[in-house]
Amino acid sequence: MSVIDHNAIELPRISEADVADYVALLKPRVMSLVIFTALVGLVIAPGHFHPVLAFTSLLCIAVGAGASGALNMWYESDIDALMSRTANRPIPRGRITPPEAAAFGMTLAFFSVMTLGILVNWVAGALLAFTIFFYVVIYTMALKRWTAQNIVIGGAAGALPPVVAWAAATGSLSAEPLLLFLIIFFWTPPHFWALALFRSDDYARAGIPMLPVVAGPDTTRLQILLYTIVLVAVAVAPWPLGYFDAAYGVISLALGGGMLALAINVYRHREGREASRATRRLFAFSILYLFALFATLLIEVVVHAVGPSIW
Amino acid sequence: MADNEEQTGIVLTEAQQKSRRRRSIAIALALGVLVALFFAVTLVKGPAVLVRPL
Repeated sequence: MSVIDHNAIELPRISEADVADYVALLKPRVMSLVIFTALVGLVIAPGHFHPVLAFTSLLCIAVGAGASGALNMWYESDIDALMSRTANRPIPRGRITPPEAAAFGMTLAFFSVMTLGILVNWVAGALLAFTIFFYVVIYTMALKRWTAQNIVIGGAAGALPPVVAWAAATGSLSAEPLLLFLIIFFWTPPHFWALALFRSDDYARAGIPMLPVVAGPDTTRLQILLYTIVLVAVAVAPWPLGYFDAAYGVISLALGGGMLALAINVYRHREGREASRATRRLFAFSILYLFALFATLLIEVVVHAVGPSIW
Repeated sequence: MADNEEQTGIVLTEAQQKSRRRRSIAIALALGVLVALFFAVTLVKGPAVLVRPL
């Protein structure tokens, strides 16, 4: 006879989470941008870097970014459930529990940092650890629910992957990766504030002090315009400073003109459908802008390597 | 345990078994990639794999 009353015991929850749910925790779309910017950091680094080590570095940076995403979703599961943009994530949907996400994120963070440190170098490993720490602790835990400057300061985490990649290839740091850092750093506020403008109800419901919620849409429009002016200047600067070629400079100027025109449009149109269309256009173009800018650097390096005579 | 004896404890549903199997395969693949990565880098670096300046 059993002395245990099986009906009185609360059975442990059995997960039905699929691999796809865990992949969603890694924020694959953010990860793809991280991989791309890191690839550019690797490719523009001087000297020969063995392809196996380059692949290892990119994989570790990608997994580290994924770990940050998982830990972010673990900490923000309460507010994710309140916002339409994030309500479909694995934790609010009940597919994965917060402790499972935390364990997953911590495991990936540990392995990505240790693997990069052991197999490539510890400058890159330490920088990757700092990036994960900055995104999870400084941005997610400290800044996001506290200040409207959350994405300005927190943007540093998203700007670090090309720096980590450069460090992986060279074992040190120099001006070029810091220029890439600055470009992504100043790109982040106009990009996310454009998103926040047409998602401000979501952020207000979740109690996140995004700039449109705290300071209003007009102030946000002005800040978007000011940051875009700085961004365009910072993105063009490497050309006259002699770090990147004229092709980059010309494309950067043209793309910057587009960014600036759309930011002015956002500043001018403040109400109705026109205003909504202007912010959505800026948001979409900002992604293309960053991608095209970094793609230009990538193409320049490839063209120089393959056929120097055509330059 | 005899076939006709009532099964006690947690019994996984078919969906739970399938998702657990898929997760197990994913973990195995990830560990395989990690082992392959360490092996490949060891081949690439040769004896220098032991040199890890800070």
